[in-house]
Amino acid sequence: MTVDLRSGAHLPKLRPGSQPPPPDWLPRQRRGTTPQMIGRYPDHDVFDAIDTWDEATKKVVLARLEPPGPLRFFSAAEEPALRAFCDTALAQETEPRIPVAETVDAKLADGRLDGYQYAGMPDDRDAWRLVLRGLDHTARQAYRCSFAECDTRRRENIVREFAHGRLVGGPWDELNVPRAWSVVMRAVLSAFYSHPWAWNEIGFGGPAYPRGFLRLGGPGYEGPGVREPFEKPGAVNVDPVREG
Amino acid sequence: MGTFWRGLLKGSVTPRDNDSRFLLDVHSRDLPGEATMRRYADDDEVDLVIVGAGAGGSVLAQRLARRGWRIVILEAGPFWHPDEDWVSDEAGSHHLYWTQKRIIGGTDPIELGKNNSGRGVGGSMIHYAGYTPRFHPSDFSTHSDDGVGADWPLRYEELLGHYERVELELPVAGQDWPWGHPHRYPFSPHPVTGAALRLVEGAHRCGIEMRVGPVGIVNGTFGNRPHCIYRGYCLQGCKVNAKASPYVTHLPDALAHGVEVRANCMALRVDIDDATGAARGVVYAREGEGGRTLQRAAAVAVAGYSIETPRLLLASTSRRHPRGLGNAEDQVGRYVMVQGASQTAGRWPDELRMYKAPPPEISSEQFYETDPGRGFARGFSIQTVSPMPIGWSEHVLADGHWGRALREYMRDYNHWATIGVLNELLPHPENRVTLADETDPYGQPVARMDYTLTDNDKTNMAYSTKVITDILRAADAQDVLIIQRFAHLIGGARMGRAPEHSVTDADHRIWGVPNVFVADGSVCPTQGAANPALTIMALASRLAERMAGGDPVEHYRAVRARRIPISTRSRR
Repeated sequence: MTVDLRSGAHLPKLRPGSQPPPPDWLPRQRRGTTPQMIGRYPDHDVFDAIDTWDEATKKVVLARLEPPGPLRFFSAAEEPALRAFCDTALAQETEPRIPVAETVDAKLADGRLDGYQYAGMPDDRDAWRLVLRGLDHTARQAYRCSFAECDTRRRENIVREFAHGRLVGGPWDELNVPRAWSVVMRAVLSAFYSHPWAWNEIGFGGPAYPRGFLRLGGPGYEGPGVREPFEKPGAVNVDPVREG
Repeated sequence: MGTFWRGLLKGSVTPRDNDSRFLLDVHSRDLPGEATMRRYADDDEVDLVIVGAGAGGSVLAQRLARRGWRIVILEAGPFWHPDEDWVSDEAGSHHLYWTQKRIIGGTDPIELGKNNSGRGVGGSMIHYAGYTPRFHPSDFSTHSDDGVGADWPLRYEELLGHYERVELELPVAGQDWPWGHPHRYPFSPHPVTGAALRLVEGAHRCGIEMRVGPVGIVNGTFGNRPHCIYRGYCLQGCKVNAKASPYVTHLPDALAHGVEVRANCMALRVDIDDATGAARGVVYAREGEGGRTLQRAAAVAVAGYSIETPRLLLASTSRRHPRGLGNAEDQVGRYVMVQGASQTAGRWPDELRMYKAPPPEISSEQFYETDPGRGFARGFSIQTVSPMPIGWSEHVLADGHWGRALREYMRDYNHWATIGVLNELLPHPENRVTLADETDPYGQPVARMDYTLTDNDKTNMAYSTKVITDILRAADAQDVLIIQRFAHLIGGARMGRAPEHSVTDADHRIWGVPNVFVADGSVCPTQGAANPALTIMALASRLAERMAGGDPVEHYRAVRARRIPISTRSRR
């Protein structure tokens, strides 16, 4: 399949069923690691600019590339559901994966919470535990296996119901389900999109101090002048034999 | 100064009574005055102890220190060393927010923390976007004129001089401002990005006028503060010193005039002398230490913002004030407000890379006041915003996407531009801060904030979301994603004309307590559709003027008598 990037024909809401096309229209990543090696910017690697980052930022960002340690907050029994949920919520079915489960675990183990707790909801740490038990509860009811043992399609079915706040029974009755979705997704998204591999995937420039930006694309900037010399444009997969 | 001269002298007029810009170091972001800062002993009765080193507390301290007052600021969070503590990274900036637990309830609970609560020297202006609009004159009399909200016990004209003074100190950059009370800014507008340009084109096609600014971001150089480098990380703390916050605009001068900023000190109670009914000082705990200390002071100013100020007042019970300080009429914590802040994002064929340049670029206050044709009272403003990747993923999630669809929208990040609104949500007595049953590590009850939208609020939010969606459509956006959210805190200890309906009088003095003042955004009876930072600073500047009104001898007598010398001139 070929997609014209300018047309936006790949955008879920502009497609039947609100689902994106399979990723085969995307280019092969030439530089930089991306999650599942899927990306739109084949020649973009945020680390190309690492010499322009300040020391404090470099330290914080590079720490995210350290090999993820063993889980400290979640138990061995909770681990399969945790990993399965993080994979499904972010469509990370294959390696290389951003270690979302470990990042969430570290945040909860260190008690780095977000500054609020909904009245009538447990602490975020307890909410996470209830959600994982709830996912297993729903999977057993619907498919006679644990959440982690379900195939991708079945997991997606369960997560879809979760996203709509429609799960009931067992642990779900101790939670406000839409708010629980917001609690867990906040942590999952923050873990994923703070990782430099995700920045490579979406073409985000990454840290920018002390260098900054000069070409903002405002009035008077047309053509190549719209882009910084170090910014690489987005691309699609073009078969050189068929289209060359 | 007249409009003509203000235009001609743009960029060259600087504040006279504030040297902060020259006191900063060119080569380091640390505050040069920290190491040599004056230190007071706990049993040394200072003239004023201020709780909170944010927008209100810092301005009040700077002004009064210049008048010779001996001042200690207690700040719960750390004393920042930006070169090491702040990073060019979203997730790495978590520690800038007040992340201690708070309970949120009501029908429409407001998420607290990263979007509206700061912790540390400089307060939440460390991570605000940088928008610094004034309130409109109409904001001060919405009850009389619109039949909603409340009337302030002061008028716009009384703040005007302070608005102008603070705008010079930040300094504010922007185009000439046609809305509210029309005025000019001391610095020229910043250049705009390709993303903002799309939004302006759409707005013009809808007949909506938008202007560049107003932002407290240096355009040019300002003393030792350099020009903005357009890296876009305003919400993560400005490592450049280009964006205004009290850390760079008022605290350097305050430190140079003998103010002590005592960081990592959590205020637990305003201590009241039961014999006189006046405050003796503030009891606080130093982080990591078990003890409790009383900092003695002739007067106390509470500037902990809309959640922590009511929390501290409610926790300050005494024989004379069994329900908390200023709470005899059950007013503390009531009328706390937030602004509706829906955002819509549009998609264009070109790469726009909205992460470049400060998120606050262009705004409009065309819809600020009541228009009977819209079907609701008061209004909203429109402002551009530019989420970074984590913020963008929350936007995409809010539109209902996760998994593969979310990843697809995220990969399209560079093609999007985002525009938002600020709705004036109305004050309501049941929207309030109270003390929860749960306690923090100091044994202090945590705050609970209940919030419920009224029908007027909901109509306003729905209408404004449609306006910004129409702007995107008019600008030929190919796809649109919408997130409903809230921003800013204000109110919770409002000023008024009578203790039955308010916590403080027009001089910020808590009813029934001679020497305790509230010096932050919690005194505001209404909030307009403007970002609150500039108004909080202007109010603190005015308060300082009123507190310093007495002559020096009178001041000395008053301090000895534990009575604070508010100017006796009657306002009306």
